[in-house]
Amino acid sequence: MPDTVIEIVDLNKTYASGHTALRNLTLEVRQGEVFGFLGHNGAGKTTTIHILTTLMAPSSGMAKICGHSVEEAPNEVRRHIGYVPENVRLYDTMTARANLRFFGRLSGVENLERRIDETLEFLESQHLADRLVGSFSKGLRQRIGLAQAILHRPAVLFLDEPTSGLDPLGIKTLRDLIVRLNTEFGTTIFMNTHLISEIAKTCHTIGVLNQGRLVFNDTITAVSERYGDDAALEELYLSITPVARKDEAA
Amino acid sequence: MMTTSPSPARIVLRHSLGTVVREQTVAIIAALFVALIFVSAFLGWSATSTVDAIYKSAAVYLTKQGMAVPPNPLLAASPLYLLRNMATYVSLIGSLAGIVIGYQLIASDRKAGVMPLIGTRPVERRAYALGKTAALVSILCGLVAFAALVSVATFFILPGFHLSAHDWVKLFGFYAVSGLYMLVFGLLGLTFGALSRSETVGLLIPITAWLSFTFILPQLTSNINPVASLNPVTALTAPPSSTFFQLTGLLLGPVSLAEAYRTLAAQLLDMLPPGFADRAAISPWATLLMALVLLALAARSALSRMDMTRGDYNG
Repeated sequence: MPDTVIEIVDLNKTYASGHTALRNLTLEVRQGEVFGFLGHNGAGKTTTIHILTTLMAPSSGMAKICGHSVEEAPNEVRRHIGYVPENVRLYDTMTARANLRFFGRLSGVENLERRIDETLEFLESQHLADRLVGSFSKGLRQRIGLAQAILHRPAVLFLDEPTSGLDPLGIKTLRDLIVRLNTEFGTTIFMNTHLISEIAKTCHTIGVLNQGRLVFNDTITAVSERYGDDAALEELYLSITPVARKDEAA
Repeated sequence: MMTTSPSPARIVLRHSLGTVVREQTVAIIAALFVALIFVSAFLGWSATSTVDAIYKSAAVYLTKQGMAVPPNPLLAASPLYLLRNMATYVSLIGSLAGIVIGYQLIASDRKAGVMPLIGTRPVERRAYALGKTAALVSILCGLVAFAALVSVATFFILPGFHLSAHDWVKLFGFYAVSGLYMLVFGLLGLTFGALSRSETVGLLIPITAWLSFTFILPQLTSNINPVASLNPVTALTAPPSSTFFQLTGLLLGPVSLAEAYRTLAAQLLDMLPPGFADRAAISPWATLLMALVLLALAARSALSRMDMTRGDYNG
């Protein structure tokens, strides 16, 4: 496993509509890091995740996961990643176990039933196994979404706005799980968010995206030493994303 | 521990079969098709038994009167003629069932919103497409096999009908052609289930195509009005000999899919009207196979290029 698990060089994405979502994005995430990708809505965070998870092709530039190009070896990339979208959707008419069985099979997981049990146990969700997903709350759905993403023990886990729509208890539970995933499995985590408080509590490094450009990238330790507490981090974030703030005010 | 994926197409196939049967529209249309197969068998049995009973009564009467008894008219016609209604039901409901099943095979995944989760699995898009197509073929094969089984049972139950080896070949040929015809529409449903951004439009376009193939094109090429399209016999009467129909028959005939199927069915079930001449520039076999190949390519392309970032239809 290379030390740099996510490598992005001069990545650009312009949609057919003409909207440019990413402009020369260059970024590295090292193995075992929890990386927080911060930015306003529409900054290009989800586009970045879609490209890194092979769901979308870039217009130009290069992106590699664990040394594999997202364009040239998408299946190799997919073997190394797990993905939890912003709004986790699963087969509502199937049980959690049936959902996990399907996604586990597609990922080629061996000893699947045992792995499902282990994963649900890790997520403290064994009681959900035989319940229909359609009856789940947002928080429970998020947990099964996380289960499908880590079932094959990926090297990198992509989380797109994982706390979106969760209540405070759900947010804390998810935060604890992310930290445990990182410490117990050594999973590198790439997390899109616009919640500064979550970044400060969970991440090792942060990147700030503004209108498709990376405008800040440093470790949380360095940021804390330089700027102090969460409030200062918020001030920093707002100061480096002025255009978006002006747009919002308008 | 990771291994190379064990036949993802088969995983998609099994999963698709499990999910699509839970779709209410699929269950309803499949049940309707099955019901009509029984109706067709009953109508064939009822009409034949009635004619046979009348003939037997008449024969007894004529014998008593010392008059000559003419041959049983049922024996003069091909026994396969008994299935004439089947061709109508396949053409109408079978093709519609194909569309609904093909469409729901994709829509069930899209409506569930799981496309991004499938798209991030180490599964080639073509394996996904293959699994979905295999599921479509499996379900349609099941429906056609059921219809064939009912037909075979009908022939065994009805007295006085003996199919020659050639008749059996034609009977199974008819079901093979019916399966291919339904598959064409199934692939149409699959294609638009994948291409469309809106759930409604995704179903509306194949249904419009179905209406055009079944009712509009036959009217343009052979002056067969929509009601006549429902009739197994008059649908194949000779078209008017005016220049307009000469031209439309020649030009639109090759794409008049329903007519091609009805002509093939009539050939196989021995119910082609005497002197009937197909005016299309190409044979009905070519029309059917061409449609099948084109739609298989369209479905493969649509499934391979489907937007996997979207969890759902637009609405």
